[in-house]
Amino acid sequence: MKKEQTEELFVKWMDGALTPEEDRELASLFAEDPGIKEELVAIKSVTSRVAQEVPASVEPPYGDFFNSQLMRKIDLTKEARRPARRAGEWWRSLGWAWAPVGGLALVLSFFAGHRLANSGRAERLVAGPSGPVESISLPTVYSVGDSLDAEVIADADGQVAAIVVNGIAAIRDDIDFGSVTSLEQLPQGYLSAEGRRFD
Amino acid sequence: MNFLRWLSSNRLMAPAGASSGTGAGDGESSDHDLIKASQKGETRACEVLVTRHRGRVYAMIQNMIKNEADAWDLSQEVFLKVWKALPKFEARAKFSTWLYRITHNVVYDWLRRRKIDFVGELDDSVLMEADLAAGALTSPTTVVRPDEALAHSELGQKIEAALATLSAEHRETVLLREVQGFDYKEIAKVMGCSLGTVMSRLYYARKKLQTQLSDEKGTN
Repeated sequence: MKKEQTEELFVKWMDGALTPEEDRELASLFAEDPGIKEELVAIKSVTSRVAQEVPASVEPPYGDFFNSQLMRKIDLTKEARRPARRAGEWWRSLGWAWAPVGGLALVLSFFAGHRLANSGRAERLVAGPSGPVESISLPTVYSVGDSLDAEVIADADGQVAAIVVNGIAAIRDDIDFGSVTSLEQLPQGYLSAEGRRFD
Repeated sequence: MNFLRWLSSNRLMAPAGASSGTGAGDGESSDHDLIKASQKGETRACEVLVTRHRGRVYAMIQNMIKNEADAWDLSQEVFLKVWKALPKFEARAKFSTWLYRITHNVVYDWLRRRKIDFVGELDDSVLMEADLAAGALTSPTTVVRPDEALAHSELGQKIEAALATLSAEHRETVLLREVQGFDYKEIAKVMGCSLGTVMSRLYYARKKLQTQLSDEKGTN
């Protein structure tokens, strides 16, 4: 018989949990070596004393305080979880209400466009020989994408204006844009690069 | 008691005939009812569940780590973990086994944090250090402590000393079997080991206890 099996038999014998077959097996072991039974009897007596002397349940000191502390921790944990859940529920609760809002935003965008620079940027004016100009009508720049930025610089008399557009690719030297009359005349690489920018 | 708990307490303690939810707040409810009510968010049911099981959990931890202050804190940790994991608890599992599994994990995490080597047996100096821990001085104390309960008898003291010489695994196996009355399969589930390991640990732990106690008898 294996060591593990005999240990199991011994433990079960001490606990009175042997099956009739296991009982027979152990009886043969006892017959071979009577010392085993003596040893097991001694161990069994100790085992039963542990059960008698060690309490299974001991109230923690200040039981009410124990509970109130625990409930406080639970409340704090609940509170910590709540804001995130609330935010999620708030967004979800709107549901289809976002649809008209989105539609309205689309319509407004359509009519308003993306205004990048306006005529009110008087601080960008360059003073002319006759001194600062109080009011000049500057052009308004519109663009299809919000990745572009533009500023208008004019001279004091409003005769010369420059529009600086930031955010577009550098204009290539190898293309004579003045002679280009249709897109087909532009190199394919240039077209695809520009196309990606506005996708 | 905060406002939320006041509401739930009143609902559960409403007079007979009044709408009282599941009624799981009373002391007669089964663990199963209390768990279901707790899973629905009834704080009072959770509190009853804690009150019902806190003594056994505290005694188990106290017998494992021999430090009253830490046992109190770890018991709190156990029940907080229980509360967090309660939504995932399945009714077909036995609550006490699940509870002691959590207790086992909390205790072993604590032991790991304290860098106690499980391979060897606990030595007295470690236990004394634990007794002198800073937290121990500020912890709540009461007249009836687990170790005092043992100290009522001389035999109890000897058993306590003998238990302290066992490794954590052997001590836990003995406590779960002899003191808490778990069967072998339940012990295997709680400790996360095989049935054979449980039987082997039980045999050697009992044998060592017997040796320790008979040595005591011989020297006295």
